[in-house]
Amino acid sequence: MSEVRAETSVVTRSADSARPRPWYFDILIAIVAFAILVTLPMLFTSKALPDFVIRCAAFGLFATSLNLLVGYTGMISFGHGMFFGLGAYGFGLLMQRADVSIPTAIVCTLLISAVAAVVIGAICVRLKEIYFAFVTLAFQMLIHSVILSWQPLTGGDQGLRGGIKRPVFWGIDLSNHTHLYIFSCALLVIGLLLMRQIAQSPFGYTLRMIRDNPVRASFIGINVWRAKLTVFVLAAIFASVGGIIMSLFVSGAYPEFAYWTISGEGIFINMLGGVTTFLGPMVGTVLLLILNDTATRLTEHYGLVLGVVILFFALGLRKGLMDFVVDWLQSRRESSKGRHS
Amino acid sequence: MTTPSKPGINRRTTLALMGAGAFTAATPWVARAQAKTIKIGMPTILSGRVAQLGTSSRNAVMIEVEKINAAGGLAGRQIEMVIRDSKGQPQEAARIARELVNTDGCEMLIDGEASSGSFAVHEVARDIGVLCIHTCSEASSLTADPKQHIPNAFRCVRQGIHDSIAGGNYAAGIAKAKGLKKWATCSPDYAYGRDTTAEFVTYLKHFAPDVEIISETWPKLFQPDYTETVTKILQAKPQALYSALWGGDLTSYIDQANIYAMFTQMEVFAVNMADYTALTVVKNLPKGIHSGNRYIKTFPATAENAAWGDAYKAKYKEYPTNWSWQNATAMMFLSEAVKKVNSTDGKKVAEALTGLTIKCPFGADGTVTMRADDHTLIGYAIGWGTTIPTEPYVPDVQSGDWKQILALEAEWKKSKGYT
Repeated sequence: MSEVRAETSVVTRSADSARPRPWYFDILIAIVAFAILVTLPMLFTSKALPDFVIRCAAFGLFATSLNLLVGYTGMISFGHGMFFGLGAYGFGLLMQRADVSIPTAIVCTLLISAVAAVVIGAICVRLKEIYFAFVTLAFQMLIHSVILSWQPLTGGDQGLRGGIKRPVFWGIDLSNHTHLYIFSCALLVIGLLLMRQIAQSPFGYTLRMIRDNPVRASFIGINVWRAKLTVFVLAAIFASVGGIIMSLFVSGAYPEFAYWTISGEGIFINMLGGVTTFLGPMVGTVLLLILNDTATRLTEHYGLVLGVVILFFALGLRKGLMDFVVDWLQSRRESSKGRHS
Repeated sequence: MTTPSKPGINRRTTLALMGAGAFTAATPWVARAQAKTIKIGMPTILSGRVAQLGTSSRNAVMIEVEKINAAGGLAGRQIEMVIRDSKGQPQEAARIARELVNTDGCEMLIDGEASSGSFAVHEVARDIGVLCIHTCSEASSLTADPKQHIPNAFRCVRQGIHDSIAGGNYAAGIAKAKGLKKWATCSPDYAYGRDTTAEFVTYLKHFAPDVEIISETWPKLFQPDYTETVTKILQAKPQALYSALWGGDLTSYIDQANIYAMFTQMEVFAVNMADYTALTVVKNLPKGIHSGNRYIKTFPATAENAAWGDAYKAKYKEYPTNWSWQNATAMMFLSEAVKKVNSTDGKKVAEALTGLTIKCPFGADGTVTMRADDHTLIGYAIGWGTTIPTEPYVPDVQSGDWKQILALEAEWKKSKGYT
């Protein structure tokens, strides 16, 4: 059964690669997606909708960046949430203490996350499979412990208190919820576009090769360690952007953002949405947040509902939603081809 | 035998459509009638390790809501509580708080979040300006730090600094009487544990300057095994031990320390012992543990407090918790503030709440006050006593002196740069 699934996904991927889209096509889709997102609040008056989209942006960027590791490179990280937390804390601390502008704080935060990812990645990416997963988890717990213990800087378990200042920059006032919404949408679309370009670049195909056969990749001259470290750092940077959006949404940063449960949610989102398509994690994010928001409104037994959904995807579909849809479309296309021939 | 259906709209369908049309037309009036109710949102923790405390908060709120509604509601409007589980996650607490106000139409918030969650809800209150009463977070900085101050947020919760001053004074008295000079501490390794312990030690030394701390242990929050901690303390041979462990951590610690007969070898001061969640769970509650009061129905020893505790137990088949009385008090404050201004307008209620003193079964002198300058609760029953293994568990509680507490709290605020 698993062989059949593997073959199908290989067929899907090769079919995908056989018809490469021009680079500007993705930019066009990004512009259209951004335009739709911006007009959404004008079409629907619900105040919960912008909140939902902002959270989708934060978790969507985080989960998609995790998929660069899990889906494209075959590196299952259990500690990716540390970069989400670093993004939130780095940005929050810079805004509270350094008195810098928001763009400066964002750039500095991404630099901090990148440096942390280089150090942590240099140790972790040499390890294989379960060892990689557990050492990344160990680093995450280390960072979480540092956040809890370094109370004068981080506020300990109470988090960064007193709100995050949002000085106006380039005419954008992030204390205005509409501006924050549009800004989050812009970060989401730009982030996804950049990650899409990475995934579709020769480097992206190198990652796929490393995932499928790292020995072969190294035999043809690819420096596997360097490629893995590069994608680890890139994924950390995008996860940090997710953390920045979340810190702006809650106007603070809390140790829970760097806890292992955030990484667990990232893995779960990838399971829900699927890892063989680029937009799978984004679909998973929307599904999880809808599920979360609906279940917490209707029942206190949120965990039970989530458990049933996990079982449905794990035992019923045996893959993420987007994987299922893509496979189904592929099989339909093939069967229709068969009928015509 | 069945009747064959005819094509087109028959009489019954026409009547049904007319009925539906009439209902649709009447809906605005129905909705307007429902708008007479006032929705109050409450994010709290109803799942995970502290779910029992969140549930006890909800229970207490509902008891008071029933009383207020039976008496005519808030300015004639019946209260409808909308209570949601944040799972103890600050981002969920913030999301739910926003949703409760923006989507569900809640006009006020009772924030049943602890620690970081309360700060997240505080930022939502700052952002959207809704009236918010924090009912569970004991972190002093939530209201003591002027950076946190907003006109629409209040805190109806006991505070670590108040407990430490009262506890330090009580423990110093015992230390002087029994000659306890060598002390050890054992508290959870996070901000609450470290802050509360540091403050307790400060005030213990303030009242008994010759006290010396010879051992400190900081077990992790929710740690399952305390063997190492217990043996380390026993090896140090202190005369007294202070602990800020709470809930399941405290009960596990006592059960495990009992094996080593720790409680016969030193005086133990556990600030969070006198709460039914701990008292009723420990397998063999040792006699003579010194504890601050959390909630017990015998302190303050008034008929009103006992009646409230009994009513709670009769309704929910268990005793209330520390979070229960705080949430009940918040609802009492709301009710009195609305009566004072005869309005449910958030701004007016906030003005009325500022500096308000109300009668309350949990007050040290039968009243509690929402202090005007930092919007926080003072005057609640605070005291220390020693445990016995059966009810009433802490028979003689010595009341703390609020004059002394307030004077030392003011000094503490200055030392922290808050004033």
